[in-house]
Amino acid sequence: MLWQKAWLETRGRFLAGLAISVIVGFGVIYDFRATERLLPLVRNMDPGALDTTGPIGAAIKEGIAAQQTFRGFVWWQWYRQNLTYLVVIFGALLGAGGLLARSGGATLFTLSLPVSRNRLIGTRAVIGLAELLAIAIVPSLVLPLLAPSIGQSYSVIDVMVHGAFMFVVGSVFFSLAALLSNDYTDMWRPVLIACIVAAALGMLEYVPAISPYGIFHVMNGETYYRHAGVPWIGLLISTGISAALLRTAAVNLAHRDF
Amino acid sequence: MSEPLAIETVDLQKRFDATDALRGLNLRVPQGSIFGFLGRNGAGKTTTIKLLLGMARPTAGQARVLGLSADDAAASVTIRTRTGFVDENKVLYDYMTVEEIIRFTAAFYPGWRRDLEKRYLQSFELPLHQKTTALSLGMRSKLSLLLALCRGVELLVLDEPTSGLDPAASEAVLQTLVTHVSTERLTVFLSSHHLADVDQIADHIAIIDAGRTVVSGDLEDLRARYRRVQLVFTGDAPDITFHTPGVVRVRRQGRVMTALSNAGSDALIEEAMRFGPVSADVLPVTLKEIFLESVALED
Repeated sequence: MLWQKAWLETRGRFLAGLAISVIVGFGVIYDFRATERLLPLVRNMDPGALDTTGPIGAAIKEGIAAQQTFRGFVWWQWYRQNLTYLVVIFGALLGAGGLLARSGGATLFTLSLPVSRNRLIGTRAVIGLAELLAIAIVPSLVLPLLAPSIGQSYSVIDVMVHGAFMFVVGSVFFSLAALLSNDYTDMWRPVLIACIVAAALGMLEYVPAISPYGIFHVMNGETYYRHAGVPWIGLLISTGISAALLRTAAVNLAHRDF
Repeated sequence: MSEPLAIETVDLQKRFDATDALRGLNLRVPQGSIFGFLGRNGAGKTTTIKLLLGMARPTAGQARVLGLSADDAAASVTIRTRTGFVDENKVLYDYMTVEEIIRFTAAFYPGWRRDLEKRYLQSFELPLHQKTTALSLGMRSKLSLLLALCRGVELLVLDEPTSGLDPAASEAVLQTLVTHVSTERLTVFLSSHHLADVDQIADHIAIIDAGRTVVSGDLEDLRARYRRVQLVFTGDAPDITFHTPGVVRVRRQGRVMTALSNAGSDALIEEAMRFGPVSADVLPVTLKEIFLESVALED
């Protein structure tokens, strides 16, 4: 029954996240047709027309280079941008609201049940993380499913691998929001703070020396896209940070007076 | 042989930052009693309940519930398996319907009483398919009571169960409790600042103030022991210090002196007669008076 409680508390956020991500996923596929039409124009463009010495010009150049293929387009548009934002935002939303009971709701009733706090917290965390995993993987399945409709194909294995990266790094923001929810009774401040932290980390990645080690570099799976490699160190560090944040939240709740 | 206790606290203390919520609370709640736990707002009643149910941890002292240490996390789960609880605010899961929250709660209690569930659903006229947020406070109180009563437990802990209710709803809740207790073997720990509620159904009470027990015992025994002696003098009432044990408070107003005793009135009257009053009357004391005198002493 605790599973049901955790599901009922989070299903609104989860289903919204899933629906929005699937719709954006659809959009990405059919955007490729427009991009395909633009590509010959870009290829024939005067090489001197774009100043690539600055960071913006360099990013545009990198984007054009990446989006020459459907796989590159998907990585650039979907994993590097849209899904990353969605997983960060919905990761924070799923983590927010408290691991014992939804904000403002019936904490004393929950604590009066014959269940240990660790079990309550663990169940809520597992459900939230499972929902995050679904948001990280399920919307991307529209890629292999619908790519043939535009004469393209996309690997299910790529979906799973990228989904795993998205989930592991996304869980850092889930855990951060969960920890912040110990101190903020509303849902929005933990989400806002987690998103500000994500934005700050994203800005740092514009520094070339930091970029290869950035958390979003791990999340978008650039190493896998370019070299079929797995950023093990980044994944391990993300898992460690996420576990540490969740553990701190759980220990704090387990010893808290209500 | 001492009577078996459902709840016992010994020098229980709880400090929140700079505030002492409990300052050495001693309670002895006999098994099978309806125990009225009285105190003003902020006296420490809810804090005590939270300590008993493992929702907070004591700073010092001991609390035992159904023979188990309330401070031990594993024992606390067992205590809650054997205890029903109604929260002061009656806040339930707003995303569940009446039926869903009943099924949800029932899943945690192997001894869940389907027969009582059916009976109370009928008598409380609870709408099964309505969300708990759509219920009035009165209906939410009844639902909270149903969720506590049907657990098939040995101890009911009720924190202000009639708070915020109109007199009719309040009476319905109390009558349900009385009827339930008359047919089931259980202890009721009823925290309230509504003296009339406690007076109506309790057989034992404790009055706490500023985190300490100021009065405790069998209610009938307390009623028998507490007496108000009113003495009228021909002139102004003399400034007397009584040496009789049990004199709680003495008040003088013009010719009238009133003395409150918690040890009967015979010895007090005997001592008072030496000062020559023209009349001496013994008046019974209500629970309200005991309460007001007890907490006033602490001020």
